Amino acid sequence: MAEVIYSGVRESRPGRINDLGTTGQQVDQDFKKGCLKRADRSFAQGLQCQQINSMAALMSLEDSVFVSHSPQGCVGCSIMAVDMYRVGQAHRGIKNIKNPRIIVTNIDQKSVVFGGEEKLRESVKLAVERYHPKLIFVYASCASGIIGDDIDAIAADLQKDFDSVIVPIHCEGFKSKICASGFDAAFIAINKYILRKEKKEKEKGLVNLFAPTTVSYADQLEMERMLATIGVKVNYIPFYSSLEKIKRIPAAEASTSICKVFADEFMKTLWEDYEIPYSHTVMPIGIRNTDKWFRGIAKVLGKEDEVEEIIKKEHERIEPLVQKIRSKLQGKRVFICGGTGRSFAAAALIDDFGMELVGLETPTYDEDAQTDIEYLNDIHKDYVVDIANMQPFEQVNLVNKLKPDAFIGVPEWAAKLGIPTTHVLDGKRPTMGYDGLLYLGNKIAEQLQNPGFNKKLAKHVKLPYKDSWYDEDAFKYIEK
Amino acid sequence: MSQILENPRGGCVLAGINSVLGALDRVCPVFHSGPGCCMQTSAAEQGQSGHKNSCFVSSVSLPSSNMLEREVVFGGLKKLRTTIQGAIDLIDASAYFVLTGCTAGIIGDDIESVTEEFRKKGEEVYAIDTPGFAGDSNLGYEVVWNTMIDKVIEENIEKDDKLVNIFGIVPYHDPFWSGTLEEIDRILSLLGIKVNTFFTKHQGIDDIKKCSGAALNIIVNPWLFKGPAKKFEEKFGVPSLRIPGLFIGATDTTDFVRAVAKQLNLDNELVEKVIAAEEDYVYHYLAQAIGVVSFKRFAVVADANNAVGLTRYLANDFSFTPALVVISEPLFRQEDKDRIIERLSDLEYATPPKIVFASDQYEINQAILNEEEEITLLIGSSNDREVALEKDIQFILASFPMSERLIFNRTYAGYRGGLTFTEDLYDNL
Repeated sequence: MAEVIYSGVRESRPGRINDLGTTGQQVDQDFKKGCLKRADRSFAQGLQCQQINSMAALMSLEDSVFVSHSPQGCVGCSIMAVDMYRVGQAHRGIKNIKNPRIIVTNIDQKSVVFGGEEKLRESVKLAVERYHPKLIFVYASCASGIIGDDIDAIAADLQKDFDSVIVPIHCEGFKSKICASGFDAAFIAINKYILRKEKKEKEKGLVNLFAPTTVSYADQLEMERMLATIGVKVNYIPFYSSLEKIKRIPAAEASTSICKVFADEFMKTLWEDYEIPYSHTVMPIGIRNTDKWFRGIAKVLGKEDEVEEIIKKEHERIEPLVQKIRSKLQGKRVFICGGTGRSFAAAALIDDFGMELVGLETPTYDEDAQTDIEYLNDIHKDYVVDIANMQPFEQVNLVNKLKPDAFIGVPEWAAKLGIPTTHVLDGKRPTMGYDGLLYLGNKIAEQLQNPGFNKKLAKHVKLPYKDSWYDEDAFKYIEK
Repeated sequence: MSQILENPRGGCVLAGINSVLGALDRVCPVFHSGPGCCMQTSAAEQGQSGHKNSCFVSSVSLPSSNMLEREVVFGGLKKLRTTIQGAIDLIDASAYFVLTGCTAGIIGDDIESVTEEFRKKGEEVYAIDTPGFAGDSNLGYEVVWNTMIDKVIEENIEKDDKLVNIFGIVPYHDPFWSGTLEEIDRILSLLGIKVNTFFTKHQGIDDIKKCSGAALNIIVNPWLFKGPAKKFEEKFGVPSLRIPGLFIGATDTTDFVRAVAKQLNLDNELVEKVIAAEEDYVYHYLAQAIGVVSFKRFAVVADANNAVGLTRYLANDFSFTPALVVISEPLFRQEDKDRIIERLSDLEYATPPKIVFASDQYEINQAILNEEEEITLLIGSSNDREVALEKDIQFILASFPMSERLIFNRTYAGYRGGLTFTEDLYDNL
């Protein structure tokens, strides 16, 4: 049988499902019995497409131009990564803050009829003329995919004329419902066009630390601080990195990732192609997860004993402070919504503070999620699980019924229901490691203690849904 | 025809349509598109407009058919029907507009017939079949109004000679749109005029239906809305007055007031009384900070409407020297460019600036870097801060896209907006 090459589409992995309304206990049993099936919603709200993730993942690379082979609208979300890149430079003390170079080919009616090849060629030429970049990334889109422009062939042909490494990325939005597929699409292309399965001499103590754009500089420093205590030199990839740093990836002794779904597939590939061992555990948010994450990478490096000592010291330092926060949060009921990594990490975090989970919303369910659910089921007996990529209509229905004391996640909708809200996806401030925990804990406690803004907001502003919706089953539109 | 662009300002036509509809009270767009279009288009416009989002439905709150491979191959109308029905059942909107992304546009799904099915059942569901690849967000503004003229605005509405409609200020694509419409409304109300801004005061679909009863359409923009204005006049008999650029400060705002007054035959005594009071308000403040803001030779990078307003205010009312103006939106008609050049060149005392039409960020940066005349102040968008830092000159973030400011009701337009802009000029360096 021929070897099946992973396409980058996350749905193609067996046992991974998208749309489901259930409970913690139920999903645990159903997964074990193998009776979870992929479903769909007959009514849904907008998703995040994989192209957004492919672009965001690489947007801060040095000496790069990003060519989007798409109409102008498909670079809309890049503004979030652009903003992170600019703010990230400010946080790193850079005075002359630069824009990333994004060129959109602007597929139009003519391209739809006659193909967009000329526009793509012209865009790549412009990129070279203007910036002589080391890297040119070419992103596919729904439009380029459907009209059938062969970006691989065009890139290969252009490569003959230019020194810049041209990297086509297959992130057509319609191919996947799971936006994290876009990370895989980007890394598959990096492996194929930059690393090319060429092995490198190992550098002692070098570890690839994979991090998406949404990780703040404060978090980067905290991760680097922790890893330095076990003698690790960090190759921080791909945020604020460069072609040189990417080329160093195969020289590493090990890999780990800050975000659970960011580089899990890529780390597997690095093991298969370059024999780089990796640690794939959890996102380092909260004491338990930070310990687990830290032990994971230490084990790969054979530093189990050293790490235990450091963890002990960190606990001595942090636990009295956590205790203080715990006294304010003990027993409070929480609803959590977030990406795959952050949602489960936040669920583990609330245990540090003795809070009770009543609802969890996360985009996909798979073996990794099952591990987390089994852990959560030991602590929390009764909570709703909504497998949804956002879908605020389901969220507000659930939150309104469950009436949690606190909501952790994107605050926009729960705030209008008057629930105190805390965001865990703050790419500009700390959330991770031992120190991030305190920052987050204090934030949750203080929002709970002083919920005035949301309470007053709820009195004045109504969400767009009909009153009748709140009486309905939140999962009524999920079709098996 | 769309050009290749570096760091484009705003999104596709779908992004423009979505943002304009999002600014109407209780109007719900329904996307028949790929899975990312809701987020992408909202981010492209609302997400770069001073962090203010449509508070009804935007981004991942927008109903969407999220077309995947199956819909690309087999068509997506089945999915669209259940999506529209769900939107009607769940979302408390006064009207629903079905919009198309590239995917639906390329495979050719017939959304018109599907919306017709719902209209037959008495639901207010309209189709706007203009897929993303058809153009940019400015076109989206015109597409929305063409749809309103064709399908929504009612005929035979009783005329009200004191009612006007305001066009040309594009929600979100102009980050100051709310405040600007409020200032226009405030000034015209002083003259006894009733104003349809459509996007403030919780105005919505009902105000649009009745807007054919207006005495005048006022277009505050040097080029936008040419087609819809003609169509509006032909179908409803409402004439248009084009104000060829935003008015900032006393001089241009007073010209605006007089132009409207003339068109509507307003009582001259009242008009002059209002003008005198408003100008007194402005100069009473300006007189209290003489010589506080240091002299500047300036460049502006903005859409035509704001570029005209900002340049004319600084040159005519504030005695700064205009060196360079970059019009950063794609323009396709020479007559539009000529009108803009005329407004930027017809200054009272100042020597006219050099004028460049460029939408591509590289070309914009080159125009500023290669300018031989000294520039000490750059007014532009978040994209233009880089070149200001490189030249080490004062920078004011005042045009789209705008990421480093939060804007609610702030405006630089009108009498009061001129004062606000002057406040922002001060930097104490």
